[in-house]
Amino acid sequence: MNETILLICLAFIVIAAIACAMFRSMLKCAVSLAVVSALLACVLYLMGATWAALFELSVCAGLVTVVFASAISLTSTSRHQPENEEEHRKRVAGLPFILIATGMMLMVVIAATGFHIEPQANAALVGLSFKDVLWNMRQADVLGQIIVILAGAFAVAILFKESDKA
Amino acid sequence: MSASFTSLIYTYIGFPLLAIVVLNLIGKKHMEKFCAPIGCAVGVVQAVTSVITMLLLLQYNKAAVNFSQFWDMSVSTEAAYFSVDAISAIVLFCIGMVTAASFLTAAGMREEKMFNYTNVMLILVLGMSGIALVTDLFSLYVFLEITGIASFVLIALHRDIIGLEGSFKYLVMSAVASAFILAGLSFIYMETGSLRYDAVAEMLAGNTAAEPMLIWLAFLFLIAGFSIKSGIVPFHGWLPDAYQSAPAPVSVVLGGIVTKMAGVYAIIRIMSDFLLGTYSVINLAFMLLGLLSIVMGALAAIAQGDFKRILAYSSISQIGYIVLGASTGSMIGLIGAVLHFFNHATFKTTLFVNSAAVERQTGTTEIERLGGLQKQMPVTGVSSVLAFLSTAGIPPLAGFWSKLLIIIAAWQAGGPLIAGIALVASILTAAYFLRLQRKVFFGPVEEHLSTVKEARGGIAVSAVALSAVTVVVGLLFPVLLQILQAQGLL
Repeated sequence: MNETILLICLAFIVIAAIACAMFRSMLKCAVSLAVVSALLACVLYLMGATWAALFELSVCAGLVTVVFASAISLTSTSRHQPENEEEHRKRVAGLPFILIATGMMLMVVIAATGFHIEPQANAALVGLSFKDVLWNMRQADVLGQIIVILAGAFAVAILFKESDKA
Repeated sequence: MSASFTSLIYTYIGFPLLAIVVLNLIGKKHMEKFCAPIGCAVGVVQAVTSVITMLLLLQYNKAAVNFSQFWDMSVSTEAAYFSVDAISAIVLFCIGMVTAASFLTAAGMREEKMFNYTNVMLILVLGMSGIALVTDLFSLYVFLEITGIASFVLIALHRDIIGLEGSFKYLVMSAVASAFILAGLSFIYMETGSLRYDAVAEMLAGNTAAEPMLIWLAFLFLIAGFSIKSGIVPFHGWLPDAYQSAPAPVSVVLGGIVTKMAGVYAIIRIMSDFLLGTYSVINLAFMLLGLLSIVMGALAAIAQGDFKRILAYSSISQIGYIVLGASTGSMIGLIGAVLHFFNHATFKTTLFVNSAAVERQTGTTEIERLGGLQKQMPVTGVSSVLAFLSTAGIPPLAGFWSKLLIIIAAWQAGGPLIAGIALVASILTAAYFLRLQRKVFFGPVEEHLSTVKEARGGIAVSAVALSAVTVVVGLLFPVLLQILQAQGLL
């Protein structure tokens, strides 16, 4: 069951990563990157690295995305500009190569590991559920995440709204 | 006892969060005129709560109180939780005091974007309170980022070119600092398997690190990261631009508390929780950085021509004193550092409020275009004199006592040369403030300023209240020193 979820997560990581490389809007890129980080956190958790998963979720999916969004909102490049046909063709032309390269890399990884994943248990976390780790052990970070989301929402609302008016 | 503590302690996080929810549920249209009173109330409640917390800690003779109302702390020994001790209570008081002063200044300046300013300021208060309350290095990092994000937005609030430039510089430098801090934390985690303050302190005290090189590397990264966030020389490039470009009420909070919470507080925590009673290369590194900041900050302040830029470079110099005190590794140095943190929050907030008053009434902060404002603006002039005398360490004002403790500790730890440099730099402080005072307030009134009047309302109230704190704390300082001596801390 875990291996199936793992495969699905990995597949979506690849899709989100490609989307991140393909989007022209920097904000969409940042969101795609956050999705990659969130899925990677799931993979890390399924592989037994609970702490790493939480840190990945907190730092990459949460904090870094908000910092990216803030930085994007402070620049004018976030505004959409019409793309000419040649630019669009050049960008899309790279997609099949990316997909082929990704597929080959996955095949090499699967061939080398046989895809047998043994979760590594951390002694300090034995017997604790995800809920225990997230809710009871990292309560300060959970509160921090809520405030980070609030901060990001205000940053985007205040700076983007003004940017649109300008 | 515990119930009274937890209900008090939850005020720090709960009250600002409640204010944000209420403001946004009712909406900008109806709440805009209540923003300043609500923000001011949040600051005052926080300051009062921290005083009560301190009194309760003294009454029950406890060093710290841990709390976690919504969660089960006993689930694991690795669980992170909040805690408040004497140092946290003092910095929480500073946060409350500066927040109230900033909202009063915003009301006095008739801030155009009051609703947005209030929301982001309340997030900033939450971030800074979190920094003071956490007991885990990773949670500290999370709240540092919250403080950083709120600061970027506040600096760029008006979306003018100068604000965006200052905000962008702060954003870039802050991102670099965060990368250093995260790298340092990951090395510590590799050695200890935990980022809790007590676990790291235990590992350092027992010298049980399997790879001591990793710990040195970790502290190297942490020193760099926290020094950038503190604006210590040579990592100070972003600070004057950020202070100068921010709207006046934001400068008050940036100069008064944000930089200190984002960097200096973490340095104090490292020194008090991990390295107290030791004198290692880490102490020496912080001591040299502190000294460099004291001297370079003061020298650069003399050459500035803008009120806010002089205050920014003065902040770099005064932050150097706090770092110097904390780096001595002695209790007297630590007490001096924490008290100078408090004093700096008071007198620097007063001076930024004064610069806001001058900006509002004259339309400029360039000192060459100002002169003779003492007669027109007596409250601003007198509060400015009191704040600068305290900054320069003139007795009996509060700044004298904290600098005295820091210089004694520096003498004991590093010898007369380091103490002497710190002492001489105080004369430089007096030099740049005398120049500022003479150019802005003394001498004949400039013709184009003859109709200028004193700033009324919130600006005057906060200048008077903060000056009163500087004078009263200075006069009561001998009593505080006696209490510390009775506790065996001096």
